[in-house]
Amino acid sequence: MFFNSLLTNFAALEVGQHLYWQIGNIRLHGQVFLTSWILLGALLVFISLGTKKMENDPKGLQNLLEFLWDYIRDLARTQIGEKVYRDWMPFIGTLFLFVFVSNWGGALIPWRLIKLPSGELGAPTADINTTIALALLVSLSYFYAGLSNKGWRYFEYYVHPTPIMLPFKILEDFTKPLSLSFRLFGNILADELVVGVLVFLVPLILPIPVMFLGLFTSAIQALIFATLAAYYIGEAVEEHH
Amino acid sequence: MNLTLLATEGFGLNFNLFETNILNWAVVVFGLYKFLPGFLGKMLQKRREGILLELKDAEDRLLNATQALEKAKKDLSSAEEKASQIKVDSLKRSESIRMESEKKAIEEMARIKQSAISDESSEASRAISQLRKEAVEQAIKKALDSLPNRLDKTTQENLVTQSINNIEVN
Repeated sequence: MFFNSLLTNFAALEVGQHLYWQIGNIRLHGQVFLTSWILLGALLVFISLGTKKMENDPKGLQNLLEFLWDYIRDLARTQIGEKVYRDWMPFIGTLFLFVFVSNWGGALIPWRLIKLPSGELGAPTADINTTIALALLVSLSYFYAGLSNKGWRYFEYYVHPTPIMLPFKILEDFTKPLSLSFRLFGNILADELVVGVLVFLVPLILPIPVMFLGLFTSAIQALIFATLAAYYIGEAVEEHH
Repeated sequence: MNLTLLATEGFGLNFNLFETNILNWAVVVFGLYKFLPGFLGKMLQKRREGILLELKDAEDRLLNATQALEKAKKDLSSAEEKASQIKVDSLKRSESIRMESEKKAIEEMARIKQSAISDESSEASRAISQLRKEAVEQAIKKALDSLPNRLDKTTQENLVTQSINNIEVN
């Protein structure tokens, strides 16, 4: 009996419950939009505050933002290469910051204080729609990067180094967004679920290390997502000789 | 159980300590608040110091360069002054040299003219003496030619008597 009630409660805890918004024939996951907007707004406020009064002497928020900028630039430069990384730095930086702020915002803002009619607020990246959207953007980006930089020669990449690679390379175009989206979604959802279940079983103390671990993996996931996106773009613009 | 409640209640706030996991959340946030600024702050401080150092370095270099430029400008103007001074001096000098050489040339010319004049006069006197000598020689020769015709007995007697007469007078 206990086990049974546990299962139903567990199921009720998170999975499959959404705050649906109906627009035409489309049912949107409202809670994802709400948290996304709030976090994007926070990010925008944070960045506009940090860049409002730029000085030669980097202080406080400006220093932090410049540090982040340096970090993103180094990431983009190492993955994409000196030649075109400048074109893609804004995209990579946006991905990194959005994923990072989503992951951490999901964990560090006490969303559960707010009750919704259905579902609950949390990290936007714990929803597969968000991560698939991001991953498809990455796919579009690397195709665009390859075609705009190399023209039709981009497709040499598919038969490089031998034409035997062709089916695998084509398959990769599908597995890249798939793995990108599912990795991020799985990690963040699993983190939230683990904390949720632990809170349900042992309400105090025990979830704390797991929450810290969650913060750590969230940051790592953001880094992985941005790095892989940059790597795919770099792969597309790379010149084979 | 909770879900059904939530689903029917609509939007609202939930202050249940355990359902919201707020206690663990507070610990996590407090931990981050405690340790993240220290960790990040150290990194950011180091970054800021590096940038300030570079800025100061660049400013120093700018200052040095400005000073060097100033000095070079000053040097340039003094060099220009010197150059114009040298030009004036050399112009003056060249003028004086020209005057002097002109004077010398005039003197030389005068001297040459003088010597030419004296040469001319000596040449003339030489020619006159030559002419004189030739005239004397011709006269002697003429006399010698005519002498044999004019010398005979009577003439000789005349000459001897005349000479004797002369001696007697004396």
